[in-house]
Amino acid sequence: MLKESIVAELQKIVGKENVLTSPEALKAYSYDGTSSWVHEPDVVVFPTSTQQISDIMKLANGEKIPVTPRGGGTNVSGGSIPIMGGIVLCTTKMNRILKVDKENLTATVEPGVVLQDLTIRLMKEGLFFPPDPQSFLGATLGGAIAENAGGPACVKYGVTKQYVLGIEVVLPNGDIVNLGGRTLKNVVGYDLLHIFISSEGTLGVIAKAELKLNPIPPAKRTIMVVYDDVAKAGESVFRVLENGVIPGKIELMDNWVINRIEEMMPMGLPKDADALLLFEVDGIQEAIEKETEKIVDIVKKYGAVDARVAKDQAEADKYWMGRKAGFAAVFGKAKTVFAEDVTVPRGSIPALINKCKELSKKYNVEVVVLGHAGDGNLHPAILTDISNAEHYDRAVKAMDEIIENAVELGGVLSGEHGIGLEKQRFLKRQLAPTVIEMMKKIKALFDPNNIMNPGKIWE
Amino acid sequence: MKDLKELKKIEQYADQCMKCGFCSFFCPVYQEERTETSVARGKNYLVKEILKGNQEFTKELGDIIGLCLLCKRCVAMCPAKTQIDRVVVGARAQMVNEKGLGAIKNFAFRKVMSDRKAFGNYVKLAKKFQWLLPKTEGNIRHLPDFMKALGQGRNIPALADKFLREIVKPVYKPQNGEKPKMRVGYFMGCATDFMYPELGLKFIDFLTKRGIEVVVPEDQSCCGAAMYFSGDFETGRQQAEKNIAAFKDVDYIVTACGTCSSTLKDYQKYLPDTEDQKKRFEEFEKKVKDSMEFIIDIMKVKPEELTVKKEFEGKTVTWHDPCHLVRYQNIKDQPRALLKGLKGLKYVEMPNADLCCGMGGSFSVYHYDITKKIVGKKMDGIKATGADIVVTACPGCMVNLTDGVLQNKMPQKVYHLLELVE
Repeated sequence: MLKESIVAELQKIVGKENVLTSPEALKAYSYDGTSSWVHEPDVVVFPTSTQQISDIMKLANGEKIPVTPRGGGTNVSGGSIPIMGGIVLCTTKMNRILKVDKENLTATVEPGVVLQDLTIRLMKEGLFFPPDPQSFLGATLGGAIAENAGGPACVKYGVTKQYVLGIEVVLPNGDIVNLGGRTLKNVVGYDLLHIFISSEGTLGVIAKAELKLNPIPPAKRTIMVVYDDVAKAGESVFRVLENGVIPGKIELMDNWVINRIEEMMPMGLPKDADALLLFEVDGIQEAIEKETEKIVDIVKKYGAVDARVAKDQAEADKYWMGRKAGFAAVFGKAKTVFAEDVTVPRGSIPALINKCKELSKKYNVEVVVLGHAGDGNLHPAILTDISNAEHYDRAVKAMDEIIENAVELGGVLSGEHGIGLEKQRFLKRQLAPTVIEMMKKIKALFDPNNIMNPGKIWE
Repeated sequence: MKDLKELKKIEQYADQCMKCGFCSFFCPVYQEERTETSVARGKNYLVKEILKGNQEFTKELGDIIGLCLLCKRCVAMCPAKTQIDRVVVGARAQMVNEKGLGAIKNFAFRKVMSDRKAFGNYVKLAKKFQWLLPKTEGNIRHLPDFMKALGQGRNIPALADKFLREIVKPVYKPQNGEKPKMRVGYFMGCATDFMYPELGLKFIDFLTKRGIEVVVPEDQSCCGAAMYFSGDFETGRQQAEKNIAAFKDVDYIVTACGTCSSTLKDYQKYLPDTEDQKKRFEEFEKKVKDSMEFIIDIMKVKPEELTVKKEFEGKTVTWHDPCHLVRYQNIKDQPRALLKGLKGLKYVEMPNADLCCGMGGSFSVYHYDITKKIVGKKMDGIKATGADIVVTACPGCMVNLTDGVLQNKMPQKVYHLLELVE
């Protein structure tokens, strides 16, 4: 519990209406998009300016109160859960798009802008911000930057860190600093900007960001490719790329996911297929037509049963809607789902998929595979029930082995979700003790009192 | 352990939520408030906490589950298909079971609105005093600020000189004098009865002109929306039983109020207490048709054969989707087919046609500040169309849209679709 005087101080900083303390409101800020972690804060504050964030941080730092920054609360690794209590600093009321600069292809935004709101605004100018985490309807830019979010578009366009030119940050002691800038190139001293990107809110609060934008490609096309063996689908991914075509997106769905999508929204997906790949190519009309032809040739050469080019945008939209529904299909079928986020070098996708299948049999748990095959970021999902101890135990073992296998294959234990709470017990398997020690020292340098989102990343 | 009867009924729906947070993007209330307690995910989580025994029905909890328009936008877009309307309404019902209704609603629902005669008399009494309110434009009364309970400074249509119930006949034979093609019961609904009686007569005329016999049972009561959406299931069930009894021996029950049609249909969804009751509510549902679907799907009227009233010829119109039509009944193509097919009108789709107008029944009484912001966004959509006329098919929306137009000093007029045709 916080002292009443601190709540009064917070009310003075942000106004009474922007401080929540009722037990009901605190419960509503005890969770995020994960299913295994819950912890209530002592207070929730909604700053509306950088100065207010700074004043909150000064107060918290002086009193050594934990501060967990939070945007839309769509995190899938537990990063926005106030696991040590204290203050939830919620940025959802700082949601202004301050500037869209067509000349320089940049946008200046507050941290609480929701990705989809930015997309809608940019569409008017013929521009887009490529990082497209599946939580785009709720996720904020502050969160996307702090987690270095990615999504399907990453094959060709990369992840959030490639689209942030600069940020305004409030440090734990309340100092306001600018990192990076507004230019594409910038080698002035250490690249502190990129220490903040994917810092999961443990170093400071992002109060403003300068984003890099792209013009919307004039044309795009979708190809749905059918396989009788999911490992062959994995192979097609790198065969297409090594033959010189870089599609905008390459997404994978296995047989289980295909059938659940067909149950939810029948759209004529081949239910007996072992796996599907969805390719999207984008660019100039003539170029994408050539690329489409080439993809169809290559996948057929490497074992695809069928390759359907969507005849129009409506058909393409249908397939992509199915892909988006994929994760709902998974979550809707089990009480608890481990949404794995392992990522391997693309050439190892078939090996990882085979391992998932093997572990599914070994532990007798459903392991389904869907994900961003184009960048090696698979989302094997393990379906279980946290209230069934025996089943849950088998699921945990399967997950452990999947992660171990991904690391052995030269991959990482998280591609885009972050470590947060969910994956911290695996951190040591990936990083050497010296490396973890370096990270802790960096954290201590920014945050000597350990008040910024404490309890995250390492155990 | 407490008896969480109404909550147990909706537990399966509450369990569907996977906490992805997508609802925040579609929730008109969250878009204004930007807090977790204002959105479906937060409400659903708290209801689950009650089920687990970790949360009581406190006043704050009541406020949180009260802060929902039941517009079902989140339900329509939810990847996990969580039926949050059932969760919210079920929680309200449980709360009423435990804590009672509160004096105002108790009086309004149980003593006035549930008794057709009493309701009429009370409104009549209000009519006597409405001259006290300043008139703003035409028949619109401007409620002064001191009448807080009805919203701060909002405009509402004047109560009619004669209510529909006072002028309507019990039976209308087809105008061509021939044997009726079918016999329908007309359900008027409170707003039509007290504020828009000419709309009711218009609908009856429309039907009888086309060979249909219309009966208007005197025993019909309020549809029950205000009661059961507030969690007063007891009065809701009474209304359901009264209306089922009133509408016997008809082929269909029709109404020109989107909220009424969806409420009558949904007795089976929210209210049944026994298997037998469920069956009867389901039987009743099959016969209920909203005016929009009845005209297109049952009467098979061809829009191009209808004549537009002279005063509307050459006008540009746009359509507002009432929540109770588009999401509660999936009625969206029928009114558009009518408006696009009508000769002499130009139809323009507004960008946010399916956005709730912000009325939400009593929501707008308790949260008029939020209602005003939501209707403001609706007005932005209407402005973008350049339309002369906003058309809809729910008197509740008509009240709120009219207020929105006046508050925002816009030239548009608001009509029920039936009012545009001969």
